[in-house]
Amino acid sequence: MCLSALLALSLARQAESAPPPAPAPAKAAPPREKTLDDYRHFRIATIDLTGRMPTRDELAAFESPEFDYDAFVRAHLIGPGYSERLTRIYMDLLRLEPNANFATTPAQLLRHEIIGPDGKPEWIYYREGQRRAREEVDGEFCLSPAETGVPIRPRMRINDADSKKPVPKKALDDATVLVKPWWLYKDYDAPTPERRYQATWNDADPEYRPVEALVSGADGKPVIQIRVCREEAQEAENGHILATGKTKQPPKLPGSRVRPLVLDSGYAQKHKGEPVGCASKLALTSAADCGCGKGLSRCVPGDSDQNGPAAFYFPNHTPLGPQEPIDSVRQQAQRWFPHWWAREALAFLEDLFGEDRDFREILTGRHTFVNGPLAQFYGSVQRGNCCGPETGFGMTEEGEPLFDPHKVPADLRPHDTGTWRLVPDRGPHAAGILTMPMFLEKYASARARGALLYNAFLCKSFVADSSAQLTPSTEPNLMKRPGCSTCHATLEPLAAYFARVEPGSFVFLPQTQFPVQNAVCKKDKNGKMSGSCTALYDPAFADNTSATLRSAYGSPAHADATPAGAAHEIAESPEFASCAVSRVTSSFLGRQTTPDDAPMLAELTQDFTKHGYKMRVLVAEIMRTPEYRRSNNLSGDAWRGGTDGGAGAPKGPPPVENVHGGSMGGAH
Amino acid sequence: MSRASRVSPLAFVVASTLSVVVGGCGRELPLKVQAAQAADLVPQDTVLQDTSHKEPPRMVPPEVYMRTYLTLFGGLSPLDAQKKARGGDGANVFDSWNDYIASLGFPDYHVDIPRQTQTNALMVATFERLGVALCDRAVEHDLKSKIPVPVASRVIFAFDVPKGSTLPEPEFLPRYDVLHRTFLGYPARLGPDGRSKRFYALYTDIVKEQANALKAGQKLRFAPEEEGWAAVCYALVRHPEFHLY
Repeated sequence: MCLSALLALSLARQAESAPPPAPAPAKAAPPREKTLDDYRHFRIATIDLTGRMPTRDELAAFESPEFDYDAFVRAHLIGPGYSERLTRIYMDLLRLEPNANFATTPAQLLRHEIIGPDGKPEWIYYREGQRRAREEVDGEFCLSPAETGVPIRPRMRINDADSKKPVPKKALDDATVLVKPWWLYKDYDAPTPERRYQATWNDADPEYRPVEALVSGADGKPVIQIRVCREEAQEAENGHILATGKTKQPPKLPGSRVRPLVLDSGYAQKHKGEPVGCASKLALTSAADCGCGKGLSRCVPGDSDQNGPAAFYFPNHTPLGPQEPIDSVRQQAQRWFPHWWAREALAFLEDLFGEDRDFREILTGRHTFVNGPLAQFYGSVQRGNCCGPETGFGMTEEGEPLFDPHKVPADLRPHDTGTWRLVPDRGPHAAGILTMPMFLEKYASARARGALLYNAFLCKSFVADSSAQLTPSTEPNLMKRPGCSTCHATLEPLAAYFARVEPGSFVFLPQTQFPVQNAVCKKDKNGKMSGSCTALYDPAFADNTSATLRSAYGSPAHADATPAGAAHEIAESPEFASCAVSRVTSSFLGRQTTPDDAPMLAELTQDFTKHGYKMRVLVAEIMRTPEYRRSNNLSGDAWRGGTDGGAGAPKGPPPVENVHGGSMGGAH
Repeated sequence: MSRASRVSPLAFVVASTLSVVVGGCGRELPLKVQAAQAADLVPQDTVLQDTSHKEPPRMVPPEVYMRTYLTLFGGLSPLDAQKKARGGDGANVFDSWNDYIASLGFPDYHVDIPRQTQTNALMVATFERLGVALCDRAVEHDLKSKIPVPVASRVIFAFDVPKGSTLPEPEFLPRYDVLHRTFLGYPARLGPDGRSKRFYALYTDIVKEQANALKAGQKLRFAPEEEGWAAVCYALVRHPEFHLY
């Protein structure tokens, strides 16, 4: 029996479409001896379903007349190789791994070495820009140049060894405190943390590996507790807007301060003393009574205050998936969360295919999976991305975040790297991969996000109109500008779906506070807009009555529909199903589909939609098509360079028989 | 017969000459050509054209190559396989996976480098290096272990290797078939004509050469018969049929 027939038997057909069982033959025919093409087809099927070539045992089983193909194929359609195979198709397309560092400010803790009162070096952790009540060090390192001997600023590499001096003990005690931080203590939030990393906490997840410099002191001894600037060590959830009354620089800076004072912003003057959430960006810049929380859990450590301080070990490459890394490298602190964003996207895709969910959920699913670091990110660090210019519109903390921090599992700790939890609903604005940090960071602009939707999920491309006359133009509307309109007439409305997700920070701009047309941001008599308006509203689409939210001009309705609206529109369009079918079919056939494949694709698409967009049904159907059987259909002899295939020469290396050595191309 | 061939050669020469001479005066000399009589077309052979889609085999994805490689290494993790492949003998047959993943054609999503679907010189060299590492370590594990490894537990050379002699062809073939199945996924009998003989020649040549080297006092890592099987392994692990599907 040929393999395709066996596969056809093995793949689950829906009961309603299954043909009636054939009458049992009077006498079973002897099994036909398998041909080279049977073996090749079995090898292809094994590679597609298991992610590796068949073993000798599998071959022996394949050759046995009793071999149960049904069990073989069924087993592998639900195996890890299958979900990896499907995930690979969409990872190749979406490339959801970070290509840039993510600035974790204000969560980033830096570290500087001072000379302690006893003359020995000592490390002190601090945040860049931390507000402090003491004017001499407000917004600076917590010890003044007079106390340390040198001015200390992030990324300022100076040869200060000769000028450093021991910090007086009182100054050190006044400005700093000792803390048992979360990265060293499993029970960092206990009244008296005791379970220290590599001491009494020996069962840390294998993927949780702080760099040595965070675990051991300069003397090589284990770090028991760390010294932190007093303000950073504060644990309160809320603080208060600080206004010093200074709106101009004084003629002489206080004490030994070398940089200008932090002056009161307009917001601080108006809202002095009002409460502010300590996890917000505003708290760092406007509150002296906000710090990093219990055990510094709202902050991420770094082992220096130079560019790119290191924090953790994790792999650079996991070509066979995160469970099988090929390295473990000392990494910059700012790569820690992007590393886990990529893992979140991967977990989402593997679950989508492994659990055979409705494929539309790749765009519309509101669920996700988080582990400890992601819980820390969504619970507190992401809150630090807001708010800057948004405060001018009355938003001091994200009101409608893409991932509601309250949905984060409360029992996950920052070091629980190996514990993944399903979050059934991230919030009303969640939309599959479209609202994941990994997607939003990879495709950082609204247009990039819209273009990816168009290409990846509708299988359409933007093709420039080569006949268009490109003339100089000041037309800001690219849907009208000659030479641009061909593509942008489609792209701008797609980009508008992402107008409410700020590029780079993923902060969601709610409709109530940020209407598409905002009269608050109208141009003044000089044709200018205010600073906070310019950051969020587009001066090119503003007049003396209102301004348009950035990226929204292509379709204000789409802007209000948000990414979730894009997800639903794309997922429900007829091209979505045909595009998914085409991509998966092309991958399994190992070639681009052609117009000759149209009838097969149409039938597959019909089945795919009929069965609820389930990939497992689609793959099963693909594997039973004659086209799959005929994929790479030069017969064994022909593709070695023989003549029995009659199908033309292969593109591969020249078929020279030379087993005595030489390159791969010569060893047949 | 074509129309041109019906024109008399003399008439053609005259007409050509006159056309050159009087052409400059803008006059055209009418060229009279005898019209052919209509006739039935001469029957031709019918050639059927196969318009179905044809594709040559494609490269196995690098993930499949690496996973298969690890399976052949006894199901080890990448890092364990790397440690074992590097060994402690200073042979430098394997560096690290990080040195190979780009040349094996893996995509790098961090920097948007797509997967490679065509071979190149560096990739072929990498296949060769990794293949040699696999075969050498397999010889050490399967054939040279201090505690003999049962045939059923051998990762590559799942057959006995009699010591000190070159196997006659009938004894070589079933052992070769084990390797053929391991790497190429089908029995050696379905291979192209002459392949088994060429592999047998390779095996015997290597065994003889190594035996001579041993007699000449050279120090060898493997016994001659082990070198012979290692050579067969090298040839199969970098075979196009191993890398294509």
